[in-house]
Amino acid sequence: MANIYGLIIGIAMGFLIQRVRASSPAVILQNLRLENLSIIKFMAMTIAVGMMVTYTLNLFIPNLLHFDIKPTYLLGVLLGGLIFGVGFGLGGYCPGTCVVGIGEGRRDAWFALGGGIVGTLVFTLVYTSVIQPIVAVMDFGRITVQDLLHVPAIVPALVIGVLFLVVIKLLPTEIKQA
Amino acid sequence: MNTTPAPLTAPNWAKLGVIFGFVGALSILLWGPIGVSGTYPRLIGEFFRAFDPSYAETNPYLVRMGSLLRPETFLVLGLVIGGFLGARRDVEKAPKVEMPHVVATSDARRYTEAFLAGFLILFGARLAGGCTSGLIISGMTQLSIAGFVFAAGVFATGIGTAKLMQALRAGN
Repeated sequence: MANIYGLIIGIAMGFLIQRVRASSPAVILQNLRLENLSIIKFMAMTIAVGMMVTYTLNLFIPNLLHFDIKPTYLLGVLLGGLIFGVGFGLGGYCPGTCVVGIGEGRRDAWFALGGGIVGTLVFTLVYTSVIQPIVAVMDFGRITVQDLLHVPAIVPALVIGVLFLVVIKLLPTEIKQA
Repeated sequence: MNTTPAPLTAPNWAKLGVIFGFVGALSILLWGPIGVSGTYPRLIGEFFRAFDPSYAETNPYLVRMGSLLRPETFLVLGLVIGGFLGARRDVEKAPKVEMPHVVATSDARRYTEAFLAGFLILFGARLAGGCTSGLIISGMTQLSIAGFVFAAGVFATGIGTAKLMQALRAGN
């Protein structure tokens, strides 16, 4: 049953990514050049709504949600983000949007997917020699904002959620270039 | 000299973001947070299990990531269907090859860049333990510190690389 749910969530996600133009590398690059912030603001909106809805639900039906917090091994997470960003700025795809792009009929998306498979293969081959030492550094485990602040999760969920909504409201979507 | 086309901003990005927020929450309610990049090593795992089972059994990463038979794999299949269905609502078809940087290049160069970029995003995502969906969207939704750290890294070099590409191409 969970597999069926996964498929339905994936279809909805692919549809939304396509409709907001996040599967267009040109739109992603406009966002990363800070000429147009529609995708960055779309992501911030998703996260703000997601955290407020998820943690509000968790108040009413505790222990029913399937949370899965990823570990914060600081060096590896940051280094991974920095490497990811170079690829994101170079190609305009992420691991999911290139799959959406294939559904749309984009040929360059196949090359991004192929590069991703080769990248993952290389990662797997160097896992014990290169990756394991990196991810062992500064491993803080599965920590969250509420763990650090020692407050109930609903507090940072609402505060950060509202903060995101205010920033979304204040920032322009189209930025005029000099 | 070609320039990028007029902005393709979806006027309803805010509404789509609200819906995506509820979809992400629904996913956590039904089975777990959305995430894409973990499916790549599971695919590699299936490949080794078919052609070199002893390697698949001894590589700790492949053992940890496990089989493709799980909801995330079906989510990735759903992305293809969702992308296809979304594109049907557009009057104009998505371009086969899109030039994301300010000055266009040859198709071959774009394919090379897309391949190299694909390599980097997956290597980086697997190092960090997730990608845009698993760490930025789901991670920050669950208020995980890793999500915030990863997002900071992605946008630091993402914006830097985008600006650098613009400067390099404009200089040619």
